[in-house]
Amino acid sequence: MSENFEKQPFETNPDPNYWRSFKELYSDKETIEKKFHEFEKGVTDDFDPNENLSGLSRRKFLALLGASAAFAGVACSDYKDKGEIIPYNVKPEEITLGKPNFYASTCTGCNSNCGILIKTREGRPIKVDGNPDHPVNQGKICSKGQANILNLYDPERIKTPLRKNYNTFSEIDWTKVDDSIINILSNVGNKEIAIITHKINSPTTLKLLDDFKSAYPTSKIYSYELFNDSIRNSAWQKCYGSGNFPLINWNDAEIILALESDFLGADENRIENSRLFAQGRDVDSKKFNRLYVAESALSLTGINADYRLSIKPENQLEFVLGLLSELKNKGAINTNLSYDVNLYEFAKRNKIDTKKVDYLVKDLADKKGKSIIYAGNSLSEDVHIAVNLLNELLGNTNLYRKDASNVDLAPISTYKEFEELVNKMKNNQVAAVIHINCNPVYHLPSDIGYKEALSNLEDVFSLSEMMNESCQMSKYVLPINHNFESWGDYKTRSGIISLSQPVIMPLHNSRQMEAILITWIKKDSKSYSDTLYHDYLKSSWMGNNYAKYSQSISFDKFWYSALHNGFISFPENNNFNLNFNYSSVNFGNIQSNNNGFTLVLRESYSLGDGRFANNGWLQELPHPVSKITWDNYAAISHNTAKSLGLKDNDLIEVDVAGRKLRIPVFVQAGNADNTVVIELGYGREYSGIVATGVGFNANKLLSKNTNYSPWIYTNAKIDKVAGKYILASTQEHHSFDIPREQDLHLKRNIVVEGTVAQYLANPTFIKDKHPIEHESVYTPFEYKEVKWGMSIDLNKCLACGDCIVACNVENNVPVVGKDQVLKSREMQWLRIDRYYSGMPEDPKISVQPMLCQHCDLAPCENVCPVVATTHSPDGLNQMTYNRCVGTRYCSNNCPYKVRRFNFFNYRDHFRNGYQENPVFALLNNPEVTVRSRGVMEKCTFCVQRISDARSEAIRQGRKVKGSDVKTACQEACPTNAIKFGDINDTEDEFYKYRNHELGYYSLSELNIKPNVTYIAKLRNIHSEEV
Amino acid sequence: MNIDYSQEAPAVAGRLTLAEIEELVAKPLDSRPDKKYFIALSISGGALMIGAVCLAISFYYGLGLWGNNQPIGWAFDIVNFVFWVGIGHAGTLISAILFLLRQKWRTGIARFAEAMTIFAVICAGIFPAIHTGRPWLDGYLLPYPNQHHLWVNFTSPLLWDVFAVSTYFTVSLVFWYIGLIPDFATLRDRTSSKIKKTIYSLFSLGWRHSSRHWQHYEKAYMLLAGFATPLVLSVHTIVSFDFAVSILPGWHTTIFPPYFVAGAIFSGFAMVVTVLVFVRKIFNLENIITMDHLDKMNKVILATGMMVGYAYGMEFFIAWYSGVQAEQFVFVNRAFGPYAWAYWIMVSCNVIFPQLFWVRKFRRSIPVMMVIVILVNVGMWFERFVITVTSLHRDFLPSSWAYYTPTLYDFGILIGSFGLFFTLVILFTKSLPVVSISEVKAVAEGAQPSHHGGVANA
Repeated sequence: MSENFEKQPFETNPDPNYWRSFKELYSDKETIEKKFHEFEKGVTDDFDPNENLSGLSRRKFLALLGASAAFAGVACSDYKDKGEIIPYNVKPEEITLGKPNFYASTCTGCNSNCGILIKTREGRPIKVDGNPDHPVNQGKICSKGQANILNLYDPERIKTPLRKNYNTFSEIDWTKVDDSIINILSNVGNKEIAIITHKINSPTTLKLLDDFKSAYPTSKIYSYELFNDSIRNSAWQKCYGSGNFPLINWNDAEIILALESDFLGADENRIENSRLFAQGRDVDSKKFNRLYVAESALSLTGINADYRLSIKPENQLEFVLGLLSELKNKGAINTNLSYDVNLYEFAKRNKIDTKKVDYLVKDLADKKGKSIIYAGNSLSEDVHIAVNLLNELLGNTNLYRKDASNVDLAPISTYKEFEELVNKMKNNQVAAVIHINCNPVYHLPSDIGYKEALSNLEDVFSLSEMMNESCQMSKYVLPINHNFESWGDYKTRSGIISLSQPVIMPLHNSRQMEAILITWIKKDSKSYSDTLYHDYLKSSWMGNNYAKYSQSISFDKFWYSALHNGFISFPENNNFNLNFNYSSVNFGNIQSNNNGFTLVLRESYSLGDGRFANNGWLQELPHPVSKITWDNYAAISHNTAKSLGLKDNDLIEVDVAGRKLRIPVFVQAGNADNTVVIELGYGREYSGIVATGVGFNANKLLSKNTNYSPWIYTNAKIDKVAGKYILASTQEHHSFDIPREQDLHLKRNIVVEGTVAQYLANPTFIKDKHPIEHESVYTPFEYKEVKWGMSIDLNKCLACGDCIVACNVENNVPVVGKDQVLKSREMQWLRIDRYYSGMPEDPKISVQPMLCQHCDLAPCENVCPVVATTHSPDGLNQMTYNRCVGTRYCSNNCPYKVRRFNFFNYRDHFRNGYQENPVFALLNNPEVTVRSRGVMEKCTFCVQRISDARSEAIRQGRKVKGSDVKTACQEACPTNAIKFGDINDTEDEFYKYRNHELGYYSLSELNIKPNVTYIAKLRNIHSEEV
Repeated sequence: MNIDYSQEAPAVAGRLTLAEIEELVAKPLDSRPDKKYFIALSISGGALMIGAVCLAISFYYGLGLWGNNQPIGWAFDIVNFVFWVGIGHAGTLISAILFLLRQKWRTGIARFAEAMTIFAVICAGIFPAIHTGRPWLDGYLLPYPNQHHLWVNFTSPLLWDVFAVSTYFTVSLVFWYIGLIPDFATLRDRTSSKIKKTIYSLFSLGWRHSSRHWQHYEKAYMLLAGFATPLVLSVHTIVSFDFAVSILPGWHTTIFPPYFVAGAIFSGFAMVVTVLVFVRKIFNLENIITMDHLDKMNKVILATGMMVGYAYGMEFFIAWYSGVQAEQFVFVNRAFGPYAWAYWIMVSCNVIFPQLFWVRKFRRSIPVMMVIVILVNVGMWFERFVITVTSLHRDFLPSSWAYYTPTLYDFGILIGSFGLFFTLVILFTKSLPVVSISEVKAVAEGAQPSHHGGVANA
């Protein structure tokens, strides 16, 4: 030991201020050295009172004792390497441990390409929010965009290039694959190289594909979208000559008539639509639009309607022209066109309440120029033309947005083009097929014969994140980067180009899709580098977008500011022609002669066209109307079910021109009779363990030959077949026949509703009937400082469910699986309750987001025997997971039933430990405990965010304010229905909502003093009805 | 009726001498168990094993194996708990309350009933411990000092349960043991086996049948009876608080404490009759546990059954009278909703069938009595099921309604609890005197001579 010290230089006194002797002061070497020896020589190692007694010194003995105890401890313990936490050796400049970083990017979940902010912690993305500056989505992002983070960490992503040998895939090198593919593509002769992709929204990718075409001149690009607006746009072009159907100023519309359109639900651009729509339902400005919906199946838009009409899709043309005739008769519009349609006869024939039709006609006539009629994408061109005509005649064209419009960079291919491709494939005119991040085998109608043609082709290459049906038929499957690992630019809106940037290094041996193509273009497998596409994108921007700006800033500055913002905006000419071409108006058969069933195929609310099928959070997100999870189903009306003797969960066979599908039935209130509605996106054959075999592949019913539109088929047949298939719903099936179970949500003051007319006549009519304060025998606890509360505006809540997924992501909520949903054990902390009232043919729907109400007098708290759930001084009802033993008494005593119990370790239970894959550990929010089995949990009002805001406030030397905190659900709500803040802060904007005259507490008569205020829903119905 | 009220009806029939009584009761303890005994023991032990296996698997995978779900946080676990606590009520009632009321007929059945109490409380005590999500942390339910400064929540009825049940168990056990001391001494004196002698000597605490011993004993017994009496009422009152203190419609009811106590005595007596009918036959105790005993117990069953029936009716009346929509719904839903089958099983077993006991012939007919008491046992189990599950399955928010279906594990654990109970009962019959020898001797004819010459006239 002493040798070490001798080597150290002691020329000067290390600390001249303190000295104990002159020797030390003058830095006597010996003295200083002695300081480093606590004991004199002989005291320790050499000290041995009895030489013969033991050869061990005291120190050695203790050292040996300690070591043997440690060895014994290690040897006897079940030590497992639990993974290591290694601090940064060289800390990246931009990362502060414990602080999140946000990066602007663009979501590629659908064709809306919303701007997103990706929250990363220590370099790993953990949450996605909307980019508040992005002009389209303005800080909001839908459930698919939220849940996309799960796709990034999906352990079943393809990890390395694969080569198919007979029916199995084996791993292969990137260089080998590239060489092989370049070789194949270079030697195709005059045979075609077919490139199949989804709609291309990236200008740079488009440019790259042009480069590809020049490198491989025989290549041809086919793009498709299972759900698209091609009919709407072609009708528009017929009516107005050019351009796309414009965007709508929903916020200015006073009357909205949606025909078979789910513009608030599954349709594109729903985030922006919802925001604008909800601006027209504002209790502050007392501005309320009136929504009429005429549709075949109760949709998300339909449940928000003030008046709803059930109309079979093929009758929509007659309905629109009937409206036109009636408006003309009333003198509301002036036109030479006349149609032999009587609206009232039509209504009678289709069992539509003529009162509603009266109101509609009256409203359209009264609010000329302030109303909009909007037809769904799936309706025929004739309906769209008729709707354009009627909007034109009513002067509603001024609700078309002039400031921006949708942009298609390249047209999508028609089914006809795909048929030609298949013919060429059959005639050996196609050398290779490249699938770029798409799945045509699953998506294209089977009668095109694409799958069969593909199976005879050897050189099929698929670029994909996940295995899918098309990859399964490919020679090479090449893994591509996820959205969050990729560079990209997107243009779907005039005047905006969005950028996406990687926020994490590729987790697997995958590559940027475009970089793979560039490697092939360069015909050199060694030309690949990680920055290949980044450089390409930058140089492309330098040439195009940078040129649009004044050159006063350097390109680097321009580029980094664009990356920082996530998009660039620039003035773009968007004048469209609004001269209606009356010669386009020429309808064939106005009256439909369909006597059979009509099959309506819709896009799944949560899975899109099936792209998100392997995402457990989305599979488990309840359907906004039926609340069914994990399956699609054939929705039929009550009358149809009765006449066919069908009940929920019975199996039927749907038959459209010989294409057959077996699928369970769900009896949906409000559906039109003799229609079968099925959502697509389910029934994946080759996907991950989450999606494979879930639901039914209704794509089998699609056809290239359509008798109405690609998504609507008339003359379908349905037959009951033997067997049952149990659908898992998060809500018990509503019974319309038992009177004592009717309208309980209204009788018990769970949901409080009124009408706009009542409100305008007496603004306090809700408070008068439902007093907030009740007498109590106890003196209430005084909350002197901050007290957290929430208010939810039921007028703005559309029941989309985006908040649920946001909550799942923020709070590490596990997926439990269909079996557990069937047992009523879903774990979502926030749910949207849906209630029906009225008759099954024409139900009234009420929705209500339900989460922990953080009651002041919480019934859960006093029954917990171990004080695991307590109240904080700032008004939060807290759960202490470590203390919880799981008696479930709290849940029993909770009148809102918002508590969730971990009956299993769900991460282990679901799909055999799928969620325990180490990759998933990266996904978890490090601020939120991952709960173990046997523990109760519930909404915390995002307490981790409150703590974060509080410590930030302390750091800044001020008190925390209500507006410092935004809960995850609040951030996600596209209509800003959820407000959160400090109840005691009279200055805060939240105060207004907390104490709103329409505010009420759910189940207020229990007097448990909830801290969630609901703002009563007002239905904008005609006052004569009241 | 031709009853001679000048004479006390004999508590022991057959004019048994004191020695005969001792011989009759102690004989099973002297002989080796026969084949039938082992068959019975293996059946009950098998049931116990089924329960143990189901429980072990539940511990390993989690409570998710049971049928409990989101609105229905409590189901078989708590139903079984309340059921067994109820069964445990007859013993203390018979031994303590009837003792204070000087009911001599209790002597023949008190020992057995007390033993059943203890076994039933053991069965009951298991359920609160295993029903938790993390049973390995059940210690948190006990108020022990710790460095975290964590304390239990004394406002929670579940905690009251912990104290109520453990107190009841302790007092019942002590009371039972005190009663056993003179019998241990008798057995000690009878036996020739050295091992037995040692054990009996140990437990008889040096009892030598001296007058002074008797004097102390009688006083202690009286005091303990007084101490145990309020417990009979308190335990089930507190168990009922688990429900009554909550705000759930169907649980939040002031009638619960008396209603639960009546129900507990009802089910406890039914269980005692069920078992005693077999015991008196197997061990030839017809003279000690006479038909009069069974008759009297059946009368108690009839009376408490009617009290329970009254409570059922009163619940409906109050629900209607309260004007609370949710409350009214819960009761109508009980009778006509998805669990109507359970409700009507409960009503018919607990209220309708026991009415047969108005007829003396049925009260004194073993087969009729057996059917009725077993139905009462079934009905009382369903009463707890109806209270627990049907209130939870449709409470305030219709959006959260759900149906509860028990799983095999639920049934397995229920069977296991019966297995445990009967295993303990069977072991008891061969290891301890099933009837209190000293007490029966005390009420035997001639044991208490009187000036009126009770013996001579009898």
